Amino acid sequence: MTIAELIMEASEEFVGYSADECLKCNVCLTVCPVARVTDLFPGPKYVGPQAQRFRTGRAQPVQVPGIPFALSPDVTVDYCSGCGWCTSVCPAGVKVAEMNSQSRARMKAGKRPKLRDWGLGQTDLVGQVGVLFSPISNWALANRPIRAIMETTVGIHRAAPFPKFGRRTLQSTWKRRQKRRGTTVIPGPDKAVVYFHGCSANYYEQHVADAAIEILKRNGFETIIPPQVCCGLPLISNGIYTEARQRAHKNLDVLVRYARQGYRIIGTSTSCTHTIKAEYREMLDIHDDDATVVANATWDICEFLLDLHEQGKLDTAFGRLDEDLPYHAPCQLRSHGIGLPAMELFALVPGLRAADMDHDCCGIAGTYGMKKEKYPIGMAVGAPLFEKIRASGATEAACDSETCRWQIEKATGTRTRHPIEILLQAYRAGDAVGAEKRGPLAPAGT
Amino acid sequence: MPSADVVVIGAGLAGLTAAIAAAESGARVLVLAKGHAATHWGPGGIDVAGIPAASTPRDGIHRLAGLPGHPYAFLGDDVAAALEWIRPHLAAEGVDYAGDLDTPHQLVPTSIGGTRRAAILPAGQAAALSPWAAGERLVICGIAGFKDFWPEAIAASLTRERIWEGGNRPASVTPVSVALPGLAARHNLNALQIARRFDDPAWRTTAIEALARAIASVPGSGGRVALPAVLGIREHAAVLAAARDRFPAAPFEMPLVPPSLPGMRLYAALRAALIRAGGRVQIGEMIERVEHDGRRVTAVVAAAAARTYTVRTGALVIATGGIAGGGLVAERDGRLTEPLLGLPVEAPPADQWLAVDAFDPAGHPLEKAGIRTDAELRPVAADGASLFDNVRVAGSLLAGHRYIRERCGDGVALTSGRRAARSLTAVPAGHAAEPGSE
Repeated sequence: MTIAELIMEASEEFVGYSADECLKCNVCLTVCPVARVTDLFPGPKYVGPQAQRFRTGRAQPVQVPGIPFALSPDVTVDYCSGCGWCTSVCPAGVKVAEMNSQSRARMKAGKRPKLRDWGLGQTDLVGQVGVLFSPISNWALANRPIRAIMETTVGIHRAAPFPKFGRRTLQSTWKRRQKRRGTTVIPGPDKAVVYFHGCSANYYEQHVADAAIEILKRNGFETIIPPQVCCGLPLISNGIYTEARQRAHKNLDVLVRYARQGYRIIGTSTSCTHTIKAEYREMLDIHDDDATVVANATWDICEFLLDLHEQGKLDTAFGRLDEDLPYHAPCQLRSHGIGLPAMELFALVPGLRAADMDHDCCGIAGTYGMKKEKYPIGMAVGAPLFEKIRASGATEAACDSETCRWQIEKATGTRTRHPIEILLQAYRAGDAVGAEKRGPLAPAGT
Repeated sequence: MPSADVVVIGAGLAGLTAAIAAAESGARVLVLAKGHAATHWGPGGIDVAGIPAASTPRDGIHRLAGLPGHPYAFLGDDVAAALEWIRPHLAAEGVDYAGDLDTPHQLVPTSIGGTRRAAILPAGQAAALSPWAAGERLVICGIAGFKDFWPEAIAASLTRERIWEGGNRPASVTPVSVALPGLAARHNLNALQIARRFDDPAWRTTAIEALARAIASVPGSGGRVALPAVLGIREHAAVLAAARDRFPAAPFEMPLVPPSLPGMRLYAALRAALIRAGGRVQIGEMIERVEHDGRRVTAVVAAAAARTYTVRTGALVIATGGIAGGGLVAERDGRLTEPLLGLPVEAPPADQWLAVDAFDPAGHPLEKAGIRTDAELRPVAADGASLFDNVRVAGSLLAGHRYIRERCGDGVALTSGRRAARSLTAVPAGHAAEPGSE
């Protein structure tokens, strides 16, 4: 193998080597939502490909006595929100956002993470405890003095959006339901899909899971909900890669058994599905066969429904929804590279006037905008979006990603729902019309 | 569903122009591009034919059209119409252009202290277009702490007669620098940060006054003042109006190193015009392949996380740029290829890729490499026969022009983009070939 070939191979494999493609044109800076609102972050090029020359390969830069944080040449990388816009617009194919995430992890490696960053990464633990004591935890999170104390001690901003914990987890609800139904034969991969609910549907938003399960059923798919843990993205975002890898392997071990049988894995959280599709391999460097098989089997729910429609298999008996619906496309959705499937689905609903808000980022970026020092940045990033949604006068908005929904809802006071909740509403409107047409005496089964 | 009447690959001037023209005719248009580039790298003017021999762009078009294989041979008569067509689209987004095909070429000073030939420039640079009157001065006004614009160096260079090719030039060039409030950045102060500050009306007022005082402190009166191209993004028109109102000399912007604010304003205006016309743009799409059924392209397939993203389409415009844009790929074995459809590339053989003189005025043999088309922009084989019915090529991917050296890239992009779209959408509906109708 020649040196040139070795370099070619490495550049395909490692995010970091894509820095070689950087032309230093700074186009990434023009779209960076964080640099748009604060000079705490010098911009994606500076902390990404430009600093990368000091981080090449697996070696660490030379430690200079007296200079702190020498593990990374630029500590401001921590202000990258990970939205991924830089990677999207780079004309040279540099993986800027991915590079930033990896260098943040490297910067934090070997040091104990801040309690706050560790905690924000532990969505499973927080969820379990929160649900277990839900009346208390929901009270506490809505209590101003407690939130003020949380801000001072832990560093989570007092105004950061937090959803309400559910009374029980989706996993436990589902187990009960299955028990009531008794043992059922699991249908084959053409009649059933695996649901990756993620933490939001498990601990906070069971209604999203319910909508997904009902819509899948209407379209001929039973839902399988295997045991699963957090996808690991909150840990990745907080630079805690070792724990993220543990989560990834736990999920892969379970999911791969289904994926190898041909089952598709459907998620309602665009960030979880993107993590499974891309980041297990790209960010966490898990390059075994399992990761690829599972990635290839994973679909965002709107992507899946649109694919059904492409094949002429989607139930399109949507009733009329006469409303304006501002829609925000989350950053993680753009990283899927699948366009805006929710907008295409909304176009199938009669009367629904969905409008893409065409704004870069709502500012929350997972857990970024919850942090004390980053909350004002997140709010400034999202401000034009909030203004557009308020100005639309709409009573509800739609967005595929949970933390974005919470952020938008908190900032605008406008109820913000997952696209499939809107679609379910349209199906029900269709059912009501259908029932009216059939009339009470219509013979069954026609 | 992911389908379109026309898919355009590339979001530079050619691609966006094609998309606007197609959307205008009622087609469902989707632009797919791997990133931002051409617009964000350029100075934001519309270079039509800025060759040294040409007195005006129109004269330049005639001269270039006479060169063997130049796209102006078949596009030249259409440039004026394309220019007048795009103007209101851009004006509607607050981006106005001065000059037309009969505006005399003027040597416009640049931010590295050189000059370039221009005739059609955005409003912010328009004051550089008129000839220098006897005794007229030029002030170069910089902003303290901003490292992309050095007034002393620019002025020192512009004082040299040969920079102006021995012709019309300002009587004096004087540098001045001013500290603007609240610009002490934590890191490198960049053009975007300053431009964003100018968008804020309150800061703008203070800054414009500070700049006006600094310019007034330079001995002499009237004349013109050159500033770095940082005068606002969204509010550029308002910033420019305030500067014209308050400054003791006529202001114009000097485009800077990328990212170029005038280029970004142009991109934003084109994108907004497209969306207004009902089209869509998706950036970050790496095209993996284009599917076709015989002579008709049927779908475009882009890379996506864990799978591909397929858009079915009735027609395709390829506006992917030349070698720099990735529209042409140089292989190690000495071939130039077009990666999407494997279109035949008109290029010199590999043994002629190396020029002896890097700055040979005759140009580099590779500059003219590209895709040969017919007058309707359909790609053709070596014998001139068209290869696909529903494919058009636009912009710097076209063979036969040297878009930088001949300063004709914007004219070719604009005109070919518009004609490509019109040629595709003018096909009568019944002719939109059913599969198997051949």
